[in-house]
Amino acid sequence: MTNRVENYEKPKRGVSLYSYAGEFGVTMSLEDMFAEMHDLGARGLEILANSHIEGYPNPSDEWLENWDRLINKYDIVPVEYGHWVDSRLYQGRQLTPEESYEMLVRDFKLANRLGFTVLRTKLGVIDDDLTPVENWKDFIKMALPMAEKYNVRMCPEIHAPTLLKSKMVDEYVEFIEQTGTKYFGLNIDFGVFTTQTLPASEWGPDAFILPESEHSLVEDIIPLLPYVYCCHAKFVKMSEDFQEMTIPYEKIINTLVEHNWDGYMVSEYEGPKKDVTGYAVEQVRKHHVMMKRILGE
Amino acid sequence: MLEKPCIQSRGFRNVERDEKIIGFQVNIRSLYYRGLWLSQLRPATVTVDGESFSGDQITWTINDVTYTQAEMANLGDVHWGLLEPATLTVAREGGLESGSHEIEVSFTYSCSYFPPVVDTVLGGTHKRTLILV
Repeated sequence: MTNRVENYEKPKRGVSLYSYAGEFGVTMSLEDMFAEMHDLGARGLEILANSHIEGYPNPSDEWLENWDRLINKYDIVPVEYGHWVDSRLYQGRQLTPEESYEMLVRDFKLANRLGFTVLRTKLGVIDDDLTPVENWKDFIKMALPMAEKYNVRMCPEIHAPTLLKSKMVDEYVEFIEQTGTKYFGLNIDFGVFTTQTLPASEWGPDAFILPESEHSLVEDIIPLLPYVYCCHAKFVKMSEDFQEMTIPYEKIINTLVEHNWDGYMVSEYEGPKKDVTGYAVEQVRKHHVMMKRILGE
Repeated sequence: MLEKPCIQSRGFRNVERDEKIIGFQVNIRSLYYRGLWLSQLRPATVTVDGESFSGDQITWTINDVTYTQAEMANLGDVHWGLLEPATLTVAREGGLESGSHEIEVSFTYSCSYFPPVVDTVLGGTHKRTLILV
């Protein structure tokens, strides 16, 4: 597994640049975000293709050269490349399997050029339970040989309100086992383990608050770990004493350590005040204090 | 770096063609966390001091290419990136007088990974007072 480059078997720390969405282009450039990661000792990088690649899907040679320079300068490991199959790209119809395949392959090439080996592949959904489009198996199957060629693993993100023990996850696992593929797996978003909700008063008046839902038990991740290539270390609020207030982090990380899972946990801040300059940056820093302490780094 | 609000103050100006002022322009940036394919966007409405414009009264210019709002519905391979402000050009004979103007820009966009019902909700109305010099 090329995303598991270290010799010790322990989860590793990273950052999803999604965390800095309120800052990007306004108070922070790509280089600023890399410099911030370097400061945190968080080497694993998740970008969102449509957000962070200037000129996407056809970045200029100058941009690509600068990318290579920044990756070296700040000692960053490109881990996960977030991309989308925008099934409702056109109003009134869904993408055909061929159109979806083309979207995937375009991203495989770009992800490979940028050094990523895991893709957070976001599929279109058809209902409020986030059931993926009916034809997902058709185009994912079509794309497997190209994923192998470009050395990328497509991973849908398992995100609340989806449960780890659910028909949806069972179907993904069944697909992996039936095809025997190493190029399709899972990204688990730690939000699935949420046990506490922040009081509504913590959020701004215009915030979209995910309704409270059933949550998965931490141990439910264990049987899935062979298929998990990256985790979204989702968090919504760090306390002053460096505790995450809604998600049982200590138990999650200890479970990953006990089962020798050594992929990257990329911090994904999805709490209040994202638009307050500097707030998310401070939250991510606190999050890494917590993760370092639990990992014993 | 861009200004934080969706509606940018830089780029607010009248547009001249053949020595006649035919309208005005305002730059916007996307406040969504990811860039959008043009076909994901739903047509924008621009309101200036209470006067509204929509449909073919507005064009979008992204990376130096200008699109009508009707064309955009079919452009699933043209991308509006987060660092690229879009210039909305609004047809209004005579343009706007110099001074302060109340600007409102509304548009929504589809998002395939959310339940379909959300497609008409994302986005919204942005307001800002801009000064035309």
